Amino acid sequence: MCHIVCFGNELHGDDGFGMRVYEMLCRQVWPNDVKVFNAGVAGLNALRFLENCSRVILVDALANFGSPGQIYVLKSEDLAEGRQELSGHGLGIPYLLEALKAIREPLPDIRIVGVEIEGVRPFFIGLSEKTERAVIETVRLIRGLVIV
Amino acid sequence: MSRKIIQIDMNRVEGDVDFQLELEGSRIVDARCVGSLYRGFEQILLGRKPMDALVMTPRICGICGTAQLNAAVLALEHLARLPVPPAAMRIRNLCLMAETVQSDLRQSFLFFTADFCHPKYRSLPLYDKARAAFLPFQGEIYRGALEHSRHIVEIIALFGGQWPHSSYMVPGGVTTPASSRHLIDGLSLLNKLTRWFEKSVIGTPLDDWLALQSADEFFDWLEAGEAHADSAIGLLTRMSREIGLHRLGCGTPHMISYGAYDDPEDVENFSPYRKRLFKAGFLNGDAGSIEPFDQNEITEHVRYSWFLPYPGGRHPFQGQTVPDYQPHSDRYTWCKAPRYRDKVVQTGPLADALIDGEPLIHALYRAEGGNAWLRQFARLHRTARLLKAMSQLLHELAAHPGEPHILPPADKEIPDGEGFGLVTAARGALGHWLQVRDGVISRYQVITPTAWNASPKDSEGRHGHWESSLIGLTVEDPDDPVEIGHIIRSHDPCLVCTVHLLDTGKRLTVWP
Repeated sequence: MCHIVCFGNELHGDDGFGMRVYEMLCRQVWPNDVKVFNAGVAGLNALRFLENCSRVILVDALANFGSPGQIYVLKSEDLAEGRQELSGHGLGIPYLLEALKAIREPLPDIRIVGVEIEGVRPFFIGLSEKTERAVIETVRLIRGLVIV
Repeated sequence: MSRKIIQIDMNRVEGDVDFQLELEGSRIVDARCVGSLYRGFEQILLGRKPMDALVMTPRICGICGTAQLNAAVLALEHLARLPVPPAAMRIRNLCLMAETVQSDLRQSFLFFTADFCHPKYRSLPLYDKARAAFLPFQGEIYRGALEHSRHIVEIIALFGGQWPHSSYMVPGGVTTPASSRHLIDGLSLLNKLTRWFEKSVIGTPLDDWLALQSADEFFDWLEAGEAHADSAIGLLTRMSREIGLHRLGCGTPHMISYGAYDDPEDVENFSPYRKRLFKAGFLNGDAGSIEPFDQNEITEHVRYSWFLPYPGGRHPFQGQTVPDYQPHSDRYTWCKAPRYRDKVVQTGPLADALIDGEPLIHALYRAEGGNAWLRQFARLHRTARLLKAMSQLLHELAAHPGEPHILPPADKEIPDGEGFGLVTAARGALGHWLQVRDGVISRYQVITPTAWNASPKDSEGRHGHWESSLIGLTVEDPDDPVEIGHIIRSHDPCLVCTVHLLDTGKRLTVWP
């Protein structure tokens, strides 16, 4: 079973990247062993979406990885560098993955698909041009990762 | 003595809260608590149908959404004078308790105790034990809390369809009755968590723990054997006291509690006049007495907040929440400054236990005052009480099968008028004040528990509770002020975070 879990907040500009990808993914037909989830800003509660599956693809906006609009496929160890953010509702993927490691054995195969965004814009609906342009390509890339 | 200003980003706390502190040497001489996120729910609700509050207000928070829903539904029931059947009150109480238990376990063992693993405490005798229990992602208690806390809110999903952000409490009751399947599944979830709590958190059966009533009984219990001393609460207590948290972070002596959990036996009275299982009140810190609580005594000030100014303080039924961001003025936060009888107050599990008259917490408070350790201890003491109360509620529901879960209102429309809903969320007193005119919401004011605690200065220049908890504190290393982490985290701060993205950049934070 493969779970595709999308994160983000569409009310804050480019932070809604994962939500746009989720919308596009929902319009497609997937094999029976693939499920698509909207995790929004669920934080630690998103652990639920990482259960009962052997593979996970997490989709989110990225910062400080490269230039805006670039798409990255990362493994969880790629996030391990530097200080990890530890907070509450806004937990973020590094915290979620650490939590998963603490409670689940063996771990599913995890990939993180993200795009470097131009920036978060509070209370603004819609993505910047470069981020929007990356959506279709991201969906294509996820399809390639899932259907192998 | 040189004056230094430091800005602290409280990373592990819930959401966006910063502190700007002024230090003379290593002593804090002024503190500003900065809520850096504007939410705007009061504005969003204006002009909408009253029932929309049931869908929108649970979204205020991803942790206390059930409490927000309860406050909203109580405000609507108050306005429309609607009765609620006992079964609905039991289901509501059960779900509110489940949410609080989850939040309290996470706050205690994912956020608060992590500070005991700070390298600064390396030389303390308990350091290795503290790390083995509390180190993030590795400690036994940390991992246990991570695993066990997440399942208890499934009880809300059973009765409310989903968690978080559910809308199953409706005027007159709840949407679904308690089926035997719900009750069996709920009991199984509860028993699993209770077993872990007894084994790992208190190292003792629940009833024995709750029987401790005096400070001597408690400290004797602590020393009565390894299972007690090395339990999570034993370690938390011993480590706190080695560091001196029982002398830190007292803040304001005034406390409020709205009381918690409507009494299902009190079917005669409408909310807000219904009896509560845990009592409401005002602890007057000057007189040392507990006085009846009256919501008419609440006001909110905006003198130091980024809202359109008005003079003095206003009761929520006259209140307004109009953003007016002025970053370069002396205003400094998106929090308003709520006051009770014009006094700075604190709220939370310590206030609730004292006002309810809980004997052990009272005894410890009389001995040492309201400090950071006792605040945290009161929170975990509450967990024990709630686990027991949840079991009773499930059995009561099972003993009354087929009772109505809703008394459908005769009129589908909520009439014009005003009402309020006061509840106890995990972090303390939560209130919604609602006015309806011409069929739509004309005013909606929310005062969250964190608004009370994280309050800025008011029109008279009086500091809020957290601010006054820090002023006068001596910080050992101003570049790594772990003491501030202990004090503020003991309140379970929550200024909800809505922005979230993956960031590899570095920020200045309180350890780790």
